[in-house]
Formats: sequence, structure tokens, C-alpha cells
Amino acid sequence: MTSSAAVAPLVPGEPSGQPSGQPSGQPSGQPSSQPSGRHRTPGGRESARNHISALDGLRGFAVAAVLLFHAGLLDGGFLGVDLFFVLSGFLITGLLLGEAAGKGRIALASFWWRRARRLLPALVCVVLVVLLATWAWGGATMLRFALQDTPWVGAQAVNWHYIGEQIGYWDGSGTRVFAHLWSIGVEWQFYLAWPLIVAVAGRGRHGHRTVAALAGAGALVALLLTVWLGTAVDTTRAYEGTDTRAAALLLGALAATAPLRNLAGRIPRRAADLLCLGIACALAVSWTVTGGERSPLLFKGGLFLHSLGAAVLIVLLTHVPGTYAARVAGSRLPRGLGELSYSLYLWHWPVYLLLLPKLGGLKDLCGGGPLGDWITAAVAIALSVALAALTKAYVEDPVRFRKGWARGRRGLTVVAAAAVAAGVLWATVPEPVPGAGTVDVEQLR
Amino acid sequence: MNSSEKTNRAPYRPILTAMASVAVLGVALVGCGQQDSGASKARADRTEVKQEATAGGGVKVLWVGDSIAGAEAPAMGAALKASGVGFKDASSDGGGTVVDSGEEITKMISGDTWKQLGENIKAFKPTVVAYQVTTYDWGTPDTQRAAYEKLVRTVKDAGAKTVFIPSPPIKIDDFYKKHESQMATAPKTAEEVAGKHKDAAVYLDASQLWGTDKSAKKALRGPDGIHNCQQGAAAFAKWFSTELGKREGFEPAPVDKWANGGWTGSDRYGKQSCSK
Repeated sequence: MTSSAAVAPLVPGEPSGQPSGQPSGQPSGQPSSQPSGRHRTPGGRESARNHISALDGLRGFAVAAVLLFHAGLLDGGFLGVDLFFVLSGFLITGLLLGEAAGKGRIALASFWWRRARRLLPALVCVVLVVLLATWAWGGATMLRFALQDTPWVGAQAVNWHYIGEQIGYWDGSGTRVFAHLWSIGVEWQFYLAWPLIVAVAGRGRHGHRTVAALAGAGALVALLLTVWLGTAVDTTRAYEGTDTRAAALLLGALAATAPLRNLAGRIPRRAADLLCLGIACALAVSWTVTGGERSPLLFKGGLFLHSLGAAVLIVLLTHVPGTYAARVAGSRLPRGLGELSYSLYLWHWPVYLLLLPKLGGLKDLCGGGPLGDWITAAVAIALSVALAALTKAYVEDPVRFRKGWARGRRGLTVVAAAAVAAGVLWATVPEPVPGAGTVDVEQLR
Repeated sequence: MNSSEKTNRAPYRPILTAMASVAVLGVALVGCGQQDSGASKARADRTEVKQEATAGGGVKVLWVGDSIAGAEAPAMGAALKASGVGFKDASSDGGGTVVDSGEEITKMISGDTWKQLGENIKAFKPTVVAYQVTTYDWGTPDTQRAAYEKLVRTVKDAGAKTVFIPSPPIKIDDFYKKHESQMATAPKTAEEVAGKHKDAAVYLDASQLWGTDKSAKKALRGPDGIHNCQQGAAAFAKWFSTELGKREGFEPAPVDKWANGGWTGSDRYGKQSCSK
């Protein structure tokens, strides 16, 4: 059985923010960030930098869509998660193929360590604070689910836990402060498996072609799986499965390979501008008109088409220099949001769940209705942005660049201590059993 | 790479080890069910309440239906158990129909329901199979009739009696809209089939309890307008055990004995956002 109200968990992307004043994105010289084909120019490095800014900007649009969707203001905004997945597949595969080409091999342990250093400190910080906040301000049901979900979040497998719980069927996100972290689980599982494949298949002269073939074939298999699983009454399996959502990640990976990059590089700038405009409009329309994350068309190829469009847009933005779309995407506001996107994604859902119910008075003050919805959403988004900015400045960047409090081994020690604190908190907070007083026996007599 | 990296060949190894340990610990604790006492209780409420009949005169009820029936099940288990009646919840989250309307989804669901029913009859040996008409009982009245007749035959062959109960009034959302007229004929067809097989089936009209207006207070629907919360489950359990007791000859336990039991903490009600 399905019901109409849908609050879907949504995904963050592959963050690549840099400290202010520095170009963001991948290290220079990575193949995926370089213009190719007819567009290769002496100014390629500067051009690549602009293109990576455009990818940060895409993250900004994606996270904005997710924020608005979860606030109930953009029905198809959950597709921003799909864009995050495509970006992740593209960037990670580009890095891996670049390393394989440059060094002849991929140092997998170093790759996983860099991913962990980039993603885990902020996650640990958010989980710790959210557990405390839920204990203080959440109801018994919310705290109970938070405690049940935490180990799965720690194991980066919470998407499978939610599939077992049929969270989509029940619209269960409204009582789970970690519901949005399913996508982090999907990304981590992809990060564990895909580099192993690229490390083997990406070697040698035909490495790019082999990886492209595997990514394309894998995406098609994931599409078939989505179509098959999407016919079920409960679509959580199709929506949150790592195997089904691999379609987006693998289409991004495909876009990072030389055959696709070279193809994009041969497209004239004007044609690329028109293509980008068309795809951007199509994506914007899909974000506006899709009626929720259980719309049947999503699982009949809709998600795949969205991912495909996103992948083409990304490869055009990064491999055709000077497109108008790259300038718009790389402009200050979307780029700034994109640089905050990871922490913003982590914070926004628990902030919504814990804060929005307490803003009823403000909503009434604004006369209720759509205006009240927008104003309360604006307050929740503002708080999420503030928390994200603090997390980026004081957690993400110090650890990532080994500066400030995270110099030397201190960073590791503090993050490990925070993880232990979260574990101790999880183990010691008593799990409430809700339901007391919910039945009025007198009414039954 | 900074100086600290240069002087340390593999600074990440201890961290990777620590992270792996934490992950393994987390998974192990989940596996051990350290945090799971409530969840276990909920599972017990949901699928498992098998009580050997004693005071209930050997009555054993197998409960079949969709997730609406599932939301009623925890209280039914408690009420019937307190009455000495055996109970097994075989309702399904997402389907539960016995009717193959011809659409792919009901073909899939009904196939599963029939398979589960056969297994449950064999294992649980019920004396009563109670089927709450589901929101997937689509198709023409003839299709519905054929499915309900088959149910009565199957249950009779197993030496048990079929009890039909109509679904409570629910909010018709976009998903249900195109099947609304088919859903409306299902309870009438079930009543007709029960009337035709008086020796083997009975129709208990739950509209006496819920009424017919989905938005009325009497319907006791939860926040989603479809499932009931604890109060609705308790009301249904009391009504059902009373009605069944009259027909099967057992005395339903007083509500004080079961209505505020552990079943009220079932995670099902949390998932349905009955309370935050």
C-alpha cells in the first residue's frame, strides 16, 4: 500500500570543496578535469579550474533541490540525489583512471583512506550532535529509531537497514533523523567495490575503453534491476538499493572515460551550449513535475534518463571550454552552496525534523498557507546552512588539509575520540519503548 | 603532501584499523540485538503471536490481509492471547490480497499470498482463517468471487472456517483512485460468498465498528488516513474477539487485561508516525 505524502531520504554528493580562495575540485592534472579533443588549449589548466567550479555549482543546485524537496516545496527535488550520484561516479572514476595512467597502478588503501578522511569526520560530528539533540528534543519514537539506526550508519549500510524496514512504504522518514543517510551508504559501498574493478580493468592501453564498457554494461544491468524491483508495492528496494542506484554512479563513471570525453571534446561550443541548455531545462522540468519519489515512471527508466542527462551535462561542462552553462553553474551562489553541500546535506534532515514542528507558531504568525511554509523552511534552511558552514570550517577543512587543530596526529585522535563518544552515547542512552498511554481503555468499554 | 605525511609512511593504517573495528563492532552489536529488546517485542507483536489455545476452547486464528490488517494485528494478538485463543499474524505489508485481478501487481501479490497461506495452514493448523478484504482486492465482482470461493474451499479442506471482514474506510489517494469502484464491490462480494457457504464461512461486518466515513472520528484512522494507530487497533481487537467469541464459543478477555500491554510499543506505530 502506498500513501501520498512522501518524505524521501536524499543524497549528498561527492564533496570537493577547498578552503576559500583556492580553486575547488580535483587536483590539477587529473584526466577528468582536462578539456580534450579539439578544445585542448595552452590555457587548459585555467579552463579546467572553471569547469570544476561548474561541478561545484551543480552540487549547489542538487543540494538546493533536496532541501526544497524535504521542506515540501519542490516535488521532484529528490532527483538532486541522482545528480550527486552521477557526479560521484564521474569524479571518482576520473581520479582512479588518472592515477592508473600516471602511476601504472591504483593505491587502493590510499584511495579509501582519502575518502574516509574526507567524509567521516563531518559524519561523526553530525551523528554525535544529532543523537544528543534527539535525546533532548525528539520524542520517544524518534529517539528509539535513532538508536536503532546508528550502528547501521556507522557501518555505512543504513540503506539496506531501511530496505528491510520498508521505510519508503511507510513514509517512515518523518520519524528517523538519519533517514537521509541511505545515500551515504550507497556511495560508500560504491567506493569500496568500483575502485577494485577500475584497478584491474583500467590498466594498459585499453584501460579506458574496458572501464567504459564495464560501466555502460553495469548501468544497463542496474536499469533492468530497477525496472524489475520497481514493480513491487514497496519501492524502497528499488529506490535505496546500491545495485539499482549504481546506474547513476556508473553513468557518471562512463562519462569520465576517454572515449566519452573525446567525443564531448569534438562538439563545437555553440552546439554544446544548445545541448547544455536543453538538458538543463529537461532536468529542471523533471525536478518540478515529478510527483514524488514513488512515481511509477521513475522505475520504468525515468531515473535512468535523469542520470543519463546529468552525465551528458557533466561531460559537456568539463570538456567543452567556455560554455555558458559552465559559467552559470560556476557562479558564486551555486558554487558556494556546492562547497557546503556535504555538511549541508548531513545537517538538513535532522534540523528539519527537530526544528520544523516547533515553528508552528511562526507559521501561524505568517498566516499559515504557502507563505508560512516558505518562511519556516527558510528558517530551517538558514540554520542548516549555518551548521554546515561551521562544520566545513572547523571539521571538514582542518582534517582535509591538516591545518589548525587537525595538524599531525591530533586530527586523527580527535575524530577517533568523537567516534568513541558517539559509540558510548549510543550504548548508554536507554532506548525508550513508545506507546505508553496511547490507548484509552474507557473508550473501549 | 605535508611534512607529517613524509615522515610517516602509512599514517592511515591505524585509522583504517580503528574504523574497521568500529564498523565490525557496530555490526556485531546489531547482530547481537543489544539495542533490540523493544524491536523484538514489536516483532513479537507483528508476526509471531502464536498462543497455544487453552481457555479459548482450542480456537486458533490465522489473520490474513494487507498492512491495514497488519496495523490491527498487535492488539488482536494481545486480546486473543489473553482470551486463550491461538493467533498468528500472516498479514502482509504491501499486498496480502488473494485476488488476481489480472494486473501484474496483484498477480504477483496474490501468488505470494496463496503460497504463504498454504504454508501457514500446514504449520499453524488454524481453526479459523480470518481474511480482511484488502485494498488490492481489485478486478470484477466475478474475479473477486472466484478468489473468495477458492479461499473458502481451501480453508474448508484444511478443516477450518473462513471469516471475512471488510476493510475499514480509508483515504483514497492517487494510487487507489482508479481502483476505487473495484474496491467498493469487494466487501459485497465477500458477504455474498459467505452467505452462500454458511457452513464454512461467515462475514463479520466491521462497518458496525468503523462506520463508513473515512474522516469520521469513529473510523480511527492514523496520520496517513489509511492505517489505524494503537487506539484503533485496540477497538478492533475488542470488537473482533467479541464477535468471534460469540460464534466460536469462547469468552473474550476484559480489556484491562490486554489493552495497555507491550504491543502498544510496536515499531509499526512508530513507522506510521502515530507518535514522534
